[in-house]
Amino acid sequence: MSSGLSTSETLLAVVVIALTTFLTRAGLIVAGDRVRLSHTAESALRFAPACALAALVVPEILFPMGTLDLSLDNPRWPAALAATLLLLRHTSVTGAIALGMTVYAIVRGLS
Amino acid sequence: MFPAFPGIAAWGLVTGVAMVKSGLTVAMALVMTLVAYAGSAQLAVLPLMAAAAPLWVIGVTALMTNMRFVIYAAALRPWLAAFTAPQRLALGYLTGDFPFVLFMNRVARDGPFGHRDGWLLGMSVAGWVVWQLASVVGIVAASFVPTEWGLQFAGTLALLALVVPALKNAPTAVGAIVAGAVALVGHGWSYRSGLLAGIVIGMITASVTEALVGRRAVSR
Repeated sequence: MSSGLSTSETLLAVVVIALTTFLTRAGLIVAGDRVRLSHTAESALRFAPACALAALVVPEILFPMGTLDLSLDNPRWPAALAATLLLLRHTSVTGAIALGMTVYAIVRGLS
Repeated sequence: MFPAFPGIAAWGLVTGVAMVKSGLTVAMALVMTLVAYAGSAQLAVLPLMAAAAPLWVIGVTALMTNMRFVIYAAALRPWLAAFTAPQRLALGYLTGDFPFVLFMNRVARDGPFGHRDGWLLGMSVAGWVVWQLASVVGIVAASFVPTEWGLQFAGTLALLALVVPALKNAPTAVGAIVAGAVALVGHGWSYRSGLLAGIVIGMITASVTEALVGRRAVSR
């Protein structure tokens, strides 16, 4: 399969993507205290990590191929469920990855 | 950060493979991983590039996928007083999801801990090295990496491991559930706008929940 864009178009697209990454990440970090936010906004930012992770992770788990799949053809949700149950008792990234990937492999093997 | 390395490595590897399999040359994939360094945005634009979508569609999709970094930067900003301008630029390139979340979890627990600037920069550099090594392996060995193992899911599990412990706080849990639900409903929205919508609506819901819970506690 070959890319639909020419080499120069691809390079331009890569530069544009890099610019969006750098400007979004660096903008407010570089601006520092020159930008002031309301107390309400500062307070809401405490919830940014959990909300961002949930918005990233939930579609990855339930939409493996771009559509909702709650059958056992999608081993991601039982794996994520097992990892979540473990994590509620015991915070371990390594444990969550190990248990999650094990359940993933087992469910894949069964279906 | 160190327990998250297998997740970062798996995700970097899969992103490297995906770039080559979607039709990028090895050289172009190496340029992309080094200059863009944004896994979610890279994965979001690859199908568009393969389909020769207009440049502005590619740009807007990358921008929407990356808009959460504006929120991250806003949250980090009050903690970075000690950073020099070059350090801020370095962070602006390096700080993805993992260093941000780990740093925010640490300051939520310990407050303004000592050497936090060096801690964040060090974690970000370590995450970059692990990601880039894995991504280069994925690019060079794309045809040898088994995609059927679902390696990318290890990255998802690492992110899950960072969010679940925070759910013991009720407003955070409500916000995260709403954020996840909106991202799910908005999964097919243009330019990956469902992701940003989920984050913003989740944060607002968490704040409102906290205000309501707080008011009820006071009135008792």
